[in-house]
Amino acid sequence: MKSIMLYALSTCPFCKMAKRFFESRGIAYNSVDVDLLPEEEKEKTVAEVQRISGRRAFPVIVIGEEVIVGYDELRIKEALEK
Amino acid sequence: MSAEKMLCPVCQVAFLVKEEKIPGKKIICPVCGAVLILEKERDFWVLKRPKDMTPEEEIRSRVENFARLRGYYFNEMKEPLIEALLKKYERYGDFYCPCKIDNIPENVCPCLETRQGSVERNGRCHCGLFWKEA
Repeated sequence: MKSIMLYALSTCPFCKMAKRFFESRGIAYNSVDVDLLPEEEKEKTVAEVQRISGRRAFPVIVIGEEVIVGYDELRIKEALEK
Repeated sequence: MSAEKMLCPVCQVAFLVKEEKIPGKKIICPVCGAVLILEKERDFWVLKRPKDMTPEEEIRSRVENFARLRGYYFNEMKEPLIEALLKKYERYGDFYCPCKIDNIPENVCPCLETRQGSVERNGRCHCGLFWKEA
């Protein structure tokens, strides 16, 4: 089972759709609403998101080694099947 | 009554205003779709954001004008995004992009990358508010 990390914002609909995608399929995943983190932790997490995705936009989904920027169901499915 | 370049206080782009200048006249920014009001400050005409609109009326009219100007359409994601934009307004004081962490002028909806044509390239804006047929 690949580890899944979802970096999200509490205000972003595609982030909610990504959560629903995993939940509706019973796939275990970790997620964090970056905008709701305490300031210091937020900065650290945003820096990490920027390092792996090159952007400061959400969602960013990490499946195993693969980084998916934005909500792309096809790429999520492919990454899960790899 | 000469045409004059005026600055949009939302997208910060200057555009030519050809209409007759009357205080309180409503002008729509051709770049971002913002509804603006003509006002005279000392000897200068300026464009201000409307004071008689609720935040919800303001953002709805802005995104609808922008979509009309660009030929974009909305889908079922529109309402969750309007709600998210209003949440951003409440929390951070302006309609910052609900899918970006930085609450800065270039991320005010419609954000800079959207104004610069990301919908043409990707079929939708990053958030999924504005869509265009491929």
